[in-house]
Amino acid sequence: MDFAYTTEQENLRQEVQAFISENVTEEIRTEIEQFGSRQNRGSLTSGLYKKISDMGWIGISWPKEYGGQGGSRIDQYIVEEEFSRIGVQVGGAGSGAPAILAAGTEEQKKYFLPGMISGDISFALGFTEPQGGADLAGLQCRAVRDGDDFVINGQKMYTTAAHYATHVYLMARTDPDAPKHKGISIFLIPMDTPGITVRPLWTIQNEPKAPHKTTYGDDRTNETFFENVRIPASAMLGEENQGWYVGAMGLNLDRVGASRYLLSVRRDEDIINWTKENSLGNYQLTDDPSVTDRLADLWIDGQVCRLMTLRSMSMVERGETFTYEGSAEKIWAPEHGVRTTESVSQMLGLYGQLLNGSEDNIEDGVFAHNLMGAFQSGINHGSVQVMKDQVSRRGLGLPRG
Amino acid sequence: MDVLPNEEEQMIRNSAREFFETECPTSLVREMEKSDKGYSEELWSKMSEVGWLSLAIPESYGGSGFGMTTLGIVMSETGRVLAPVPFHSTMTASLAISDFGSDKQKQDILPLVADGNQILTWAFSEEDPRYLPETITTSGELKGDQLVINGTKMFVDNFEASDQVIIVCRTSTEDDPRDGITVCIADTNNSAFTSVPLTTIAKDKQSRVEIRNLSVSKDSIIGEIGKGWPLVSDMLNKSTALLCAQLVGAARKDSEIAIDYAKNRTAFGRPIAAFQSVSHMCADMTIWVDGCELLTFEALWKMDQDLPYSIEVSQAKSFCNEKCLATARTSQVIHGGMGFMMEFDLHLWYRRIAAWTMRLGTTYEHRKKIASALIAHDGPVRLGMNLEAVNI
Repeated sequence: MDFAYTTEQENLRQEVQAFISENVTEEIRTEIEQFGSRQNRGSLTSGLYKKISDMGWIGISWPKEYGGQGGSRIDQYIVEEEFSRIGVQVGGAGSGAPAILAAGTEEQKKYFLPGMISGDISFALGFTEPQGGADLAGLQCRAVRDGDDFVINGQKMYTTAAHYATHVYLMARTDPDAPKHKGISIFLIPMDTPGITVRPLWTIQNEPKAPHKTTYGDDRTNETFFENVRIPASAMLGEENQGWYVGAMGLNLDRVGASRYLLSVRRDEDIINWTKENSLGNYQLTDDPSVTDRLADLWIDGQVCRLMTLRSMSMVERGETFTYEGSAEKIWAPEHGVRTTESVSQMLGLYGQLLNGSEDNIEDGVFAHNLMGAFQSGINHGSVQVMKDQVSRRGLGLPRG
Repeated sequence: MDVLPNEEEQMIRNSAREFFETECPTSLVREMEKSDKGYSEELWSKMSEVGWLSLAIPESYGGSGFGMTTLGIVMSETGRVLAPVPFHSTMTASLAISDFGSDKQKQDILPLVADGNQILTWAFSEEDPRYLPETITTSGELKGDQLVINGTKMFVDNFEASDQVIIVCRTSTEDDPRDGITVCIADTNNSAFTSVPLTTIAKDKQSRVEIRNLSVSKDSIIGEIGKGWPLVSDMLNKSTALLCAQLVGAARKDSEIAIDYAKNRTAFGRPIAAFQSVSHMCADMTIWVDGCELLTFEALWKMDQDLPYSIEVSQAKSFCNEKCLATARTSQVIHGGMGFMMEFDLHLWYRRIAAWTMRLGTTYEHRKKIASALIAHDGPVRLGMNLEAVNI
């Protein structure tokens, strides 16, 4: 066992920290606050991404021939961790990149991966459908072969990035007669293909918009309609009817990493550091034993999130495959995130309800918005309940109901 | 960074598992609950033959010189089978001697421990059961070359079975309760000791030990007179981390018994594991014990690296207290009525895990220590940082 970073890794962390303090200026911070780090990037933020990309820190663990650095997954974790803490996503988590690396053709890898690194290509995930999310394999969106093309008809839900992404990572049914897991294929489709319509769905983080750094602070997601969308067969990722396995593998790897872990635990650090510096009138929270006991409890749970993530990273680094460890992380971290935000609301009491823009709010209402966001992480990208099924079946070999 | 056991660690784990599963059936655990001594001399001597007792003793004193991580791996395996041997108390005391004893003390004691010829224990707790210096009222008075000790020690582990006991006493009362603490080692067969057995849920051997005018030579003092607290604090931390390892092993096994049972027990025409209410409990147990294991081994690893580890120990114990007990309780729930019948083995784990959660620091004590460190730390805190404990 080795719980330490190497000297090179410690140096990398310092380098990233120095880069951040030098390049992430007050102006950029303000712009990120205003626009968020992901969508509709402001010009300063775009410039920052370019610089980060030039440093070789995006897709650091991806192979060199596709624009990566061929670095270790731990290196990527370090870079992600530092940038996540200032609310900038660089890791490519949820990007579908692991699936493209594993199942893509040479042409696809050469096209998509460098584009994802430069920021010219981004994906919206097209998995969930109106009739079901947990039962993903039951999806009904159809892709029908027509000569060298496929024609797609159907509807996808919660395609959060669809209004700014360049591509959609779509799961569709290519063989309706096969057993449900064996008739699915994956397509990488440009969003500007005719026949794709995006309709906004506004979340509870809208009006007022959540401040930057909120856990699941997206004010908008989408439903996306596909009406006779014609794409060449070369848009398929992996083999026909093998999409379930390609997608499941990619999801498993996308679920782990620094950004997932920090999504759930930054709250612990934030509330502890806030109580160290602030009081509510005469009420000094750090003098209240019921509060400090809870703070320590949350801190310990947060350490478990960190260690579970490092376990996943260690396994990836060893070239081992998860049976349940990625799912375990995706259970513990969201459940912990909920415990934290709910505890924080009881620590702050009446102030805990004040949203962004409100008079007298605390830290732009981030703790109030977190209360509306944290439980979402136990629903999105594979719910906690589905993850528990995976731990039971894949990890423990328990039978299906 | 690779938080999984390396090849050597896996080998040691595998061979310890094979040894303890072969040598320590539950029948032995049950037999020892009823015996006067409370431990199996046969198992103890086999442990010494295989080298488990000498594992963490320095090579210069007849041991193999492995660190805390390795000792923790083996301790986990003893916890897995609930081995009825005074391994934890002997290791706690021998580590203190190894880390803080004089060369003569080490020469006199450690080779005997390594050979299985010396069982050790330690006496810290008194009427106030917290692990704080102010709870120590047992007095030590220097009279010429002798230290004369009077007081009452509580919850002493395996006192009857032990050859020697480390005693924590107070030789002076100062403003800071950490000052004036003295540690010494004494033969347990001295007539100054009266041991009164306690009846515990683990059915292990703990006693209240009354000490009346125990006179030991000044040479028996470990470290310096009046300056024993750092030694005690270190001993308690290491002992706590090892107890966590023991808890992890026991809770893991307890969860595996339940998972196995859920696969085989049928109700409503199917294995109960096919019901999500049961399978999700199985997933929870697994994740909880994983968390306990990661926290525990990070603490043990930090000890081997000479990094600050006190907060990591508190994190591990606090989490183990809650989650190992929750695991044992969940295992009981999955088993239904049979799980708490005396003739069924499962309660052997539940009762011990429950008892161990109360030893060496409650959840509240450890969280208090963590909270103090978080608040006292100058500047913002960040998960994964090295955090110094306050007042140790």
